[in-house]
Amino acid sequence: MHADALSLLLAKHGLELARHLRRLVRDDDVAADLLQDTFLLAHGALARLKAGSNERAWLYRIATNAALNHLRSLSREAAALERHARARDVTAPAWLDEDGPGAATGEADPRHAMVWARVAELPERQRVAFSLRASTACDYEEIARRMGGTADAARANVYQAMKTLRKEFR
Amino acid sequence: MNTTIAAEDRAASRLVQRAFERLTGRGGKMLHYALMDDTPVGLLGLAAGPAGLRRLDFIEDEDQFVARLLRLFPDQPVERSSALDPVRRELEGYFKGKHFIFEAPVDLSAATPFQQQVLRELTKVPAGKVTTYSRLAARVGRPGAARAAGNAMHNNPVAIIVPCHRVLRGDGSLGGYGGGLPAKQWLLRLEGALL
Repeated sequence: MHADALSLLLAKHGLELARHLRRLVRDDDVAADLLQDTFLLAHGALARLKAGSNERAWLYRIATNAALNHLRSLSREAAALERHARARDVTAPAWLDEDGPGAATGEADPRHAMVWARVAELPERQRVAFSLRASTACDYEEIARRMGGTADAARANVYQAMKTLRKEFR
Repeated sequence: MNTTIAAEDRAASRLVQRAFERLTGRGGKMLHYALMDDTPVGLLGLAAGPAGLRRLDFIEDEDQFVARLLRLFPDQPVERSSALDPVRRELEGYFKGKHFIFEAPVDLSAATPFQQQVLRELTKVPAGKVTTYSRLAARVGRPGAARAAGNAMHNNPVAIIVPCHRVLRGDGSLGGYGGGLPAKQWLLRLEGALL
């Protein structure tokens, strides 16, 4: 009979509390978890509920506390994420400041990957020239030999790529 | 506006369903229930599943009724909801004598086949008329099974709407009634079968 005390509580108050929790957290999966937590907690504490006290108000209090705890932890999490994002904010990888990309392309720098993601979207000749210059440290004659064209054209492509990247990552 | 409220309740009901399944292992179809206070025949408990009304009981209080539902339907989650509002309105009209016919579908599947047969035969007895246990037994082809017919009345899951109050003893006395004899008399007077 005691196992069904939980069913009895759920039957009498479940729908009303589910409605309450959905309004507080606005997410059905979270509300479903909180509803289950509420009734498990209530069932565990049922013996401590004084006879004649308001069962419904008591359940509302448990559910509301559960929802508020959830919302508080959510806002803590959001603040932590924001701090983290700010720390990773891409301003200017050091190697973009130098004369031109050399062998020291800042592999350890977390911004590295984001710069290279942007490189992948550059026009083809800029992309290839920049990549050859940055990752293999070719001089412009070497790049011209591999790509075809002149050393000046290679320099111009690398320059255009650098200009775009500096603008976006500074 | 009404449909918004209904959609909100449907979503909330799904959460209750999940809680029942996870916490109590009741994974069946939701059984909705409601109470009717202050009727001329006392406190009533109503319960319905997808196929219709499954219980209409004379009850002491909510806990007793819900405990009974949980015992009778061990696989089903149960919730108090507004799903039974149309039936409640029908009953309110009936108690005021506005109509004696109910539109709400009734689900008798929990009764035995013989009981279902008797109860269905009983629904053909109109308001204002009465029958007897033995006549009812004869009408389902079991003359002499008056006692069994009486048991079917005793086990009627949906009082009032399945009108077991219209069945009397062969000698014209009232017989028994789950809601008490004053309730039976009140209903028969309402329908004009008793003065």
